[in-house]
Amino acid sequence: MPLSRLLILLFAALFAVPAAAANVAVTIAAESARPAPGKPLAIALTFAPKPTWHTYWKNPGDAGIETQAAWTLPPGATAGVLRYPVPGRLLVSGLMNYVYEAPQTLLAEVQVPATASGTFPVAVKLDYLVCTDEICVPESASVATTLTIGDGAPDPAQAETFAAARRAMPVPLAEAARYTVTGERVAIGVPMAGLEKVRGAYFFPLRDGIVDYSAAQVVTRSGDLLRIETKGAPTGRIDGVLRIEREGEAPRGFLVAAQPGTVPAAGTPLAAAADDSGAGAMAFLPAFLLAVAGGILLNVMPCVFPILSLKALSLAKGGTSDRTARRDALAYAGGVILVCVALGGAILALRAGGAQVGWAFQLQTPEVILGLLLLTTAIALNLAGLFEVSLPGGGAGQRLASQGGAAGSFWTGALAAFVATPCAGPFMATALAAALVLPPLAGLAVFAGLGLGLALPFVLIAYIPALRRRLPRPGAWMGTFRRILSVPMFLTALALAWVLGRQAGIDGMTLGLAGALALGLLLWWIGTAQAKGRPVWVPLGGAAVAAVLAIIALPTAGPATAQVASAGTLAAQPFSEARLAALRAAGTPTFVYFTADWCLTCKVNERGALRDADVAKAFAAAGVTTLVGDWTNGDAEIGRFIDARGAAGVPLYLFYPRGGESTTLPQILTPRTLIDTATT
Amino acid sequence: MIRTLALSLVLAAPAFAVTVGQPAPAFTATDSNGKVHRLADFKGKPVVLEWTNSGCPFVKKHYGAGNMQETQAAATKAGAVWLTVNSGAPGKQGHVDAKGANAEVAANKAKPTAYLLDPTGAIGRAYDAKTTPHIYVIDAKGNLAYQGAIDDKPTADPADIKGATNLALAALNDVKAGKPVKVATSKPYGCAVKYG
Repeated sequence: MPLSRLLILLFAALFAVPAAAANVAVTIAAESARPAPGKPLAIALTFAPKPTWHTYWKNPGDAGIETQAAWTLPPGATAGVLRYPVPGRLLVSGLMNYVYEAPQTLLAEVQVPATASGTFPVAVKLDYLVCTDEICVPESASVATTLTIGDGAPDPAQAETFAAARRAMPVPLAEAARYTVTGERVAIGVPMAGLEKVRGAYFFPLRDGIVDYSAAQVVTRSGDLLRIETKGAPTGRIDGVLRIEREGEAPRGFLVAAQPGTVPAAGTPLAAAADDSGAGAMAFLPAFLLAVAGGILLNVMPCVFPILSLKALSLAKGGTSDRTARRDALAYAGGVILVCVALGGAILALRAGGAQVGWAFQLQTPEVILGLLLLTTAIALNLAGLFEVSLPGGGAGQRLASQGGAAGSFWTGALAAFVATPCAGPFMATALAAALVLPPLAGLAVFAGLGLGLALPFVLIAYIPALRRRLPRPGAWMGTFRRILSVPMFLTALALAWVLGRQAGIDGMTLGLAGALALGLLLWWIGTAQAKGRPVWVPLGGAAVAAVLAIIALPTAGPATAQVASAGTLAAQPFSEARLAALRAAGTPTFVYFTADWCLTCKVNERGALRDADVAKAFAAAGVTTLVGDWTNGDAEIGRFIDARGAAGVPLYLFYPRGGESTTLPQILTPRTLIDTATT
Repeated sequence: MIRTLALSLVLAAPAFAVTVGQPAPAFTATDSNGKVHRLADFKGKPVVLEWTNSGCPFVKKHYGAGNMQETQAAATKAGAVWLTVNSGAPGKQGHVDAKGANAEVAANKAKPTAYLLDPTGAIGRAYDAKTTPHIYVIDAKGNLAYQGAIDDKPTADPADIKGATNLALAALNDVKAGKPVKVATSKPYGCAVKYG
């Protein structure tokens, strides 16, 4: 075929494409078939691209264009801007596109004039771009619907369309975001509650020139602040949509407006998504190495150092063959690693069950603290020479540190790892935080890494004879050294007693110290018996009983403040419009509040004013019923209710006095505001 | 360590390749007639770079209405060099060989100084060309004076050309008059460049 004919055919085909085959099906729907005069009417424009095709967000990214709408409406009616759902990302050959690859619904609000009557035709011509990875086609679609002015009742047939469309819309964040520019990098800080569940986040800028679209966004969190850092140097106020993926939930978008301000340095990385094996694998190695480093450093902590150094010195004693040394070292390492993995496994299992626990979670339980207090006291007294320990399987009369046999080494290792838990060293926090969000096996491996690090010095001494020969010759000084080592152990016990006091109050601490004293006295008895070669069963049994009794008798009540707080919480019923209407019809003063898990201001109020005992009393006295609406998952009924109140989002606090109209309370609540509102 | 890792990832991402006011990236390219051009060859004259893809509706908007050809003619008449660049990778929409490029120029009655073939996308990546069309104006000293869209009406509708401000010509006029370019950067609009 001659080239010219080919070209003609090609051009003919290209020009025919937009008219002949639309790649997007566009439909229009009105929320009410009978819109009310003088009221806004929601219009849904649904774009359904063919498979492999995509349409564009308001800001299309590196390429593409924004959708244009030209409305044809009855006289006096006006249409608002198009509202876009949260977009997705499509990176093609290094160019970033902000797109929809699945059907999506844009919303617009048509203001129906107060004078409207009869039929109300709504028509709109939409110009938009639709592309595959390879080609782009600008298309145009004209859609129309004819409505009749009426009572404004929602059309039940469209309810699901509008509910889904509203759920997909970004919701405004009440909290102010900040950003700071350093050179060519911009860091945006967004206050948000519930960040521990966030697995991924991306900032879509609403206008050009805020960020380099194709540059990676580094997302971290510190406390209640989500921090996004990427390439860009914006000035002035920046607006965008923050897309948040939370564990076990559909992604959500938030409208974010950020002003220049201070943003703290990068915090901890986000928890990796469970199915994101690539990212998980990447974060695993650094986390593992940090855990090993943290474990090594743990060796010099006051709670571990005495155990390790005595264990190490035991190798220096004459007559230890290489084989024995290595066997001991491996057993010791096994004990350490096993305890670390067991603790890690327990944490992961509890977290999988929904509990918010971290490393050393067991230390949140006063019973465990008391157990550790008694244990460290016993070790300290042992180091001080008060008594000697003989474990089953070891030779009688041998000391803790020189405990013979693989079993002895194993238990020493297990003891070292368990006693080490209160001593969080450098690097550990980062590594273990990462371990909690890695896939379970990788997480356990990080915990094992911590144990490996903890065991490493001893293993090295055992495996490298040169190191062992450098250890000081055993002698009488070792006894003195052992007694000196009791000092850090006593200090550890002291610290634990303080923690116990914080957790269980002065009574708990006193009981703990009494237990320690009883244990000390019994151990003294054991020591005396040992010195005289008498059996030690009676005092040993007594020591065990004393320890168990102390733990059982520990007051279980937490600090007094917690009780008051829980007593002060308002008794709230779930919100529904029907419930609210019923309460108002009955003349019951009603306080309605809307909250969401991600709303920081909401959570602050719920922990403050809404939990205040005086508020609860005032509400009860005034007969106020409280309704709470949870908008975390974008409930459509709540969304419409909030919209109708002209509010941007949550928090929203409304008070309906007996037989009166509602007042909107400020977003930052104080007990005084609430009490005054209820009592006037 | 995690931070270091994250930072190195960031550094691997493509950087802002070009900045207005800075020297435009040098390049060497072969045109549709087999002639080799270097940017440095054109020192002393303003240079306009135009990224193209004959399959892209936005390119067709400007060629179909004759707007791109008129802009090319006005630029070259004013003493500027106009280089049309095609960074479409082989097999992708709009990719042409030398013969195809000449056929395109002939069919459109286009008036570029030369049609540069960049199938590897090296020039496009150096300039961070994002869309077709995407326009760059380089002043006589070799500094970048403008980058962005051809005009200020980002649509695919040829009817919008009338009433739009031609940003490429406006920048060229400012450069010729020795004035700072009024709109030195705009958001380019069109299809994504079909890099390989």
